[in-house]
Amino acid sequence: MRVSFIIGYGVPKFSILLRPHGSCYLCRPMCSSSTSALTTSQKPRTSLFLRPPTHSATLSDLQKWQNWAKNLASSVGSTFVDLDNGPDSTLLRRELKWLVEDVTEDGSISAEQQRNIRLRVSLEELYKLWKQRIEERRPFQYIVGCEHWRDLVLCVEEGVLIPRPETEKLVDLVADVVSDNQGLREGLWADMGTGTGAIAIGIGMILRSYGRIIATDLSPLAVGVATFNVQRHGLQDVIEIRQGSWFEPLKDVEGKLAGIVSNPPYIPSDHISGLQAEVGRHEPKMALDGGVNGMNDLLHLCKGAASMLKPGGFLAFETNGEKQCKHLVEYMETNAGGIFCDVNLVPDFAGVHRFVTAFHK
Amino acid sequence: MVSVWKSFSVNLFGLLRVGTSNGVARLALPSSHPILSIRVRGEGSSKSTWSQQQLRDNRGSFFHIWCSKYGSISSTDTYVNGGDGDYRGKRYLELTDQELMRQCQLDTFKSSGPGGQHRNKRESAVRLKHLPTGIIAQAAEDRSQHMNRESALARLRTLLALKVRNTVDLDAYSPPKELLQILPAKSTIRGSDCGPQIGPKNPKFILGMQALLDLIFAVGGSISEAAKFLGLSTGALSRLILSDDSLRMVVNELRISKGLKPLK
Repeated sequence: MRVSFIIGYGVPKFSILLRPHGSCYLCRPMCSSSTSALTTSQKPRTSLFLRPPTHSATLSDLQKWQNWAKNLASSVGSTFVDLDNGPDSTLLRRELKWLVEDVTEDGSISAEQQRNIRLRVSLEELYKLWKQRIEERRPFQYIVGCEHWRDLVLCVEEGVLIPRPETEKLVDLVADVVSDNQGLREGLWADMGTGTGAIAIGIGMILRSYGRIIATDLSPLAVGVATFNVQRHGLQDVIEIRQGSWFEPLKDVEGKLAGIVSNPPYIPSDHISGLQAEVGRHEPKMALDGGVNGMNDLLHLCKGAASMLKPGGFLAFETNGEKQCKHLVEYMETNAGGIFCDVNLVPDFAGVHRFVTAFHK
Repeated sequence: MVSVWKSFSVNLFGLLRVGTSNGVARLALPSSHPILSIRVRGEGSSKSTWSQQQLRDNRGSFFHIWCSKYGSISSTDTYVNGGDGDYRGKRYLELTDQELMRQCQLDTFKSSGPGGQHRNKRESAVRLKHLPTGIIAQAAEDRSQHMNRESALARLRTLLALKVRNTVDLDAYSPPKELLQILPAKSTIRGSDCGPQIGPKNPKFILGMQALLDLIFAVGGSISEAAKFLGLSTGALSRLILSDDSLRMVVNELRISKGLKPLK
């Protein structure tokens, strides 16, 4: 009944539920001018695949670039693998194919095409970008400004963590619990430290017109990117982005959350310097470094969840692996005052114990 | 070697044991399928309803899995809910994605090390092994894990249609609807209620393709014999077979094994 009422009158649920008096972020039109009006977020760089094809190059010049880039990728061999378990030539050549996909109108370069091929970046820029990929180990996702994650294409840029394939499963875990639990499906969810907005958008696709999600991030850059991604997927009525540290921006919904999900920083500080160059040199430390044993933020979230969740509420956190999972489970079962039940370890697609899920009693 | 295939079973119920592995065959794929490789493994059985027959083509590389219409159902086959004791390969194709996925073991390409935030590598390759038949499909060229899983599942469906044979009783043969739907309009047995002809790009094509292969296998690879059952000229049926690369390949493998000329 409640759902049909809300849908029937087209009133965003947030304005009723969360901000009855104050200004409503979601009531404003979500365009770039309104987001830049927010002092807390910044306008993201446009991903290559979203740029208009205003450049062009001759087929032979483009093929010349492609051959040069292929050779550069091949010359890497297993150097990066040996150095820091980075990408090998095969992976780099696959990335090159994806780069071509994103910068050309047809998604490929073939001899049957016209002599002049329209491009979304200049040929000069293409040389520069591939050099950055190989020589500076700049992550491919920052080069093209996007990451394909689940069935979504998410914009991403320097300063914002690139969503990982492992994290795709967090969304499946939520899909599972809401499938037979109306209270959770129609409730208010929080994605803590949302980054690109990946998890929130994945869940938003599942909840759609039923539930609502607040996604938070401390970084103004992430808030800008997440806002853009939410809009691009047409979920501005489902997901609200708030800037701030963990639960700080959620004081008004204490004890009201149906679910909390998070992929917080969990890498132990002393591992940061040894990370694969793409990660260690280019991704934001703020999104990776979880303190001495990597558990600082996970424990903070766990403690906060006890008061933020409503009875019967669900939580799912990503961790560094089995050791952290066990630590977290132990904390929940023994130190959390008996607040959590059904505490579970869930493996990722590679079989590594990656997630902890639990319910608030 | 820093990377290994890591097996992670998503199968929750008992597996259908089909005996020892007899070998691994490689199926060259049509250019329309941008596949790294697909392997098909046939497995033999002595006590279940499954058996397998090797098609002796000049490369000696092909296996087909036969589904008997009359055999009993193994008690572990909880996913078959037909209830008539008629266990047919066709049923696999009628399963929803979720049901089919539950019959599969999901393997992902796992690199050594802790993964998660530590890594930036798009090792999102997915390999699905269909446990009841041992058929394996994989996908690696998509940019997300999720999409690779969908591609692998779509390929698995095609392979099931190509590889799993249902027995056909020629004396009482009447083509199933899904086969009639892929026939050209000029077929004399195709009623107007079948709608427009379904082409190879339509996902429903594989159901008809499986039924067509069942018939062609039953008549020993003779196109003219099969054409008679379908109310078509030999030429018209040949053109239909040649319209899909994987269908043509399987028919030609069979024809070569029977000493017949391949279709061109």
